[in-house]
Amino acid sequence: MLEIKNLNVVTGNFHLRDINLAVAEGECHAVIGPSGSGKSTLLHAVLGVLPAQNGHIQLGGKDITRLPIEQRGLGYVPQGLGLFSHLTVRENLAYSARARHMAASDFQPLINQLVEATGIGSLLDRKPETLSGGERQRVGIVRALASQPKVVLLDEPFTALNESLRRELWWLMRALQQERGLTVMLVTHDLSEAYFLSQTISVLLEGRIIQQGDKATVYGRPVAGDVARFLGIETLLPGRVVDVNDGLATVEVGTTRIVALAISAESKEVFVSIRGEDVTLQNHDTTATSARNRLVARIVAIHAGSPLMQVELDAGFPLTALITRPSFHELELQVGSTVIALVKAPSINLIPRRPGEKYS
Amino acid sequence: MNLRNTTIAAALAVLLLYGGLILSLGWFFDGASLSKALWSERTLFSIRLSLMTATLAAFVAVVLAVPAAYALSRFRFPGRELVDTMLEFPIIVSPAALGAMLLIFFNNPLGEWIQAHAVQFVFAFAGIVLAQFVTILGVATRLLKTAFDDVPREVETIARTLGASPRHAFFTVTLPLARRGLLAAFILAWAKAFGEFGATIMVAGTMAMRTETLPIAIFLRLSSADIEGTVALILVLVVIGLTALHFTRRLLGGGGHA
Repeated sequence: MLEIKNLNVVTGNFHLRDINLAVAEGECHAVIGPSGSGKSTLLHAVLGVLPAQNGHIQLGGKDITRLPIEQRGLGYVPQGLGLFSHLTVRENLAYSARARHMAASDFQPLINQLVEATGIGSLLDRKPETLSGGERQRVGIVRALASQPKVVLLDEPFTALNESLRRELWWLMRALQQERGLTVMLVTHDLSEAYFLSQTISVLLEGRIIQQGDKATVYGRPVAGDVARFLGIETLLPGRVVDVNDGLATVEVGTTRIVALAISAESKEVFVSIRGEDVTLQNHDTTATSARNRLVARIVAIHAGSPLMQVELDAGFPLTALITRPSFHELELQVGSTVIALVKAPSINLIPRRPGEKYS
Repeated sequence: MNLRNTTIAAALAVLLLYGGLILSLGWFFDGASLSKALWSERTLFSIRLSLMTATLAAFVAVVLAVPAAYALSRFRFPGRELVDTMLEFPIIVSPAALGAMLLIFFNNPLGEWIQAHAVQFVFAFAGIVLAQFVTILGVATRLLKTAFDDVPREVETIARTLGASPRHAFFTVTLPLARRGLLAAFILAWAKAFGEFGATIMVAGTMAMRTETLPIAIFLRLSSADIEGTVALILVLVVIGLTALHFTRRLLGGGGHA
């Protein structure tokens, strides 16, 4: 549906380089990255606010790269300031139809459906300044959808809201997207939001897309140290592959050797990336287990979190485990005590490392 | 005195200066003379003339200032910095100099042609409007630019994603959102035009019952040592000016941060 090919955008000193991205019809694609990575620049280029230096943007096979904003067929829901404060909610929702000189009978049924689906019926005669943050975002979403866009662009739409409201709107947005088969491009730095709402993800760092794919692969198997760092993977350390046998790699990390699924034979220098929730802790090394890595580790720090406890271990290398609070109490874990850390080989992601590449 | 008290004293000194000047009018205030001066045919003519010319000048200034201010607020174009700087030109050049420049222009071939074939400006009603217009255009544009700067570009982008052309987005979103600034710019420009003297006297002269605006009437009455009449006309000007300022501050929500 939406295809971006070799797009380059220059704004000030920032350069968005060689962006290639595709959002399939009915899919939500998230572009994630930290502040300053170029997410908004990309979104503004797709919208037509910023000109493309070169490359193409296609929507449904039609090249929209040089089209004015109003002819692109895109809906837009920004983080804030989006509602027209001089108009009532009802007038905001009808703005698109009025701008296109549509008859009321052509747009009112859709608006009525969306109003009902989002529960904003009681707000129609109010001005935006009298609405709460969550209500404003609902109105902003309905207004964008009422214009019947081919693709909806969401620019960190829920960032300014509190946690519970944000989750409520995630559910609403996901329901709308799936029930109506909306094609959505979401731009966000919120990893949870991207994971919840999207099916596919692009990771944008310093103006380049570093990794793309379905969300489980991107989150579980980052292809670069920078991506793993941005994704907040708890254990990310340099290692060296010392042996590869039968698809399993033996990797030297710190003073310890661990076993992981092998990657390309050429990559000897690697990053070892392990998610905290993939580390299991035991008090005694008694029961047999299929986990290839059984590491004797000393607890060096414990950080209380909600809902997970973060346990920092010295397993010959710094290793972080995330465990539930009941498990933490049952194991009677204390700083200084020794535990067995179990990590399955497939849970360890090896990332090729360039010589001299930093890891922290 | 600490910083707070010193600065507050300076602020009150400003009030004391202008307030004192207004209060000093009371020394020569005479109810009977005020009434006589106010209801004289000549004064009523001056007030009527000033109301008409100021309204016309402010209207024309705002009509030109709206697109100019929008361009300065939204677009980069060659000469933008120069235009922006020139907005302060009427402030740094005295109104008398501005009026003299207009007079000199109308003595150039182009100006003479305009006077002969289009509109007579010198010593005429149109000259008063032009003098006031030239004096207020900069400030009207500056105020409107600030008003447009305060309207986020994003709302225009959203309007356009909803199908509005740039022109439609401007008239249905940007302009309504800047309406308070627009009204404030009109009122301030109008008040400034209403009190304009230096440029007007240069272009239109001081012809009683022809080009005698309220400020020129004040000048003429003072010249003929009619102090009570002068006070009466100044009070009219002060009341109109302060009323305009009051409405402008209400529109812009002024008052500072404290």
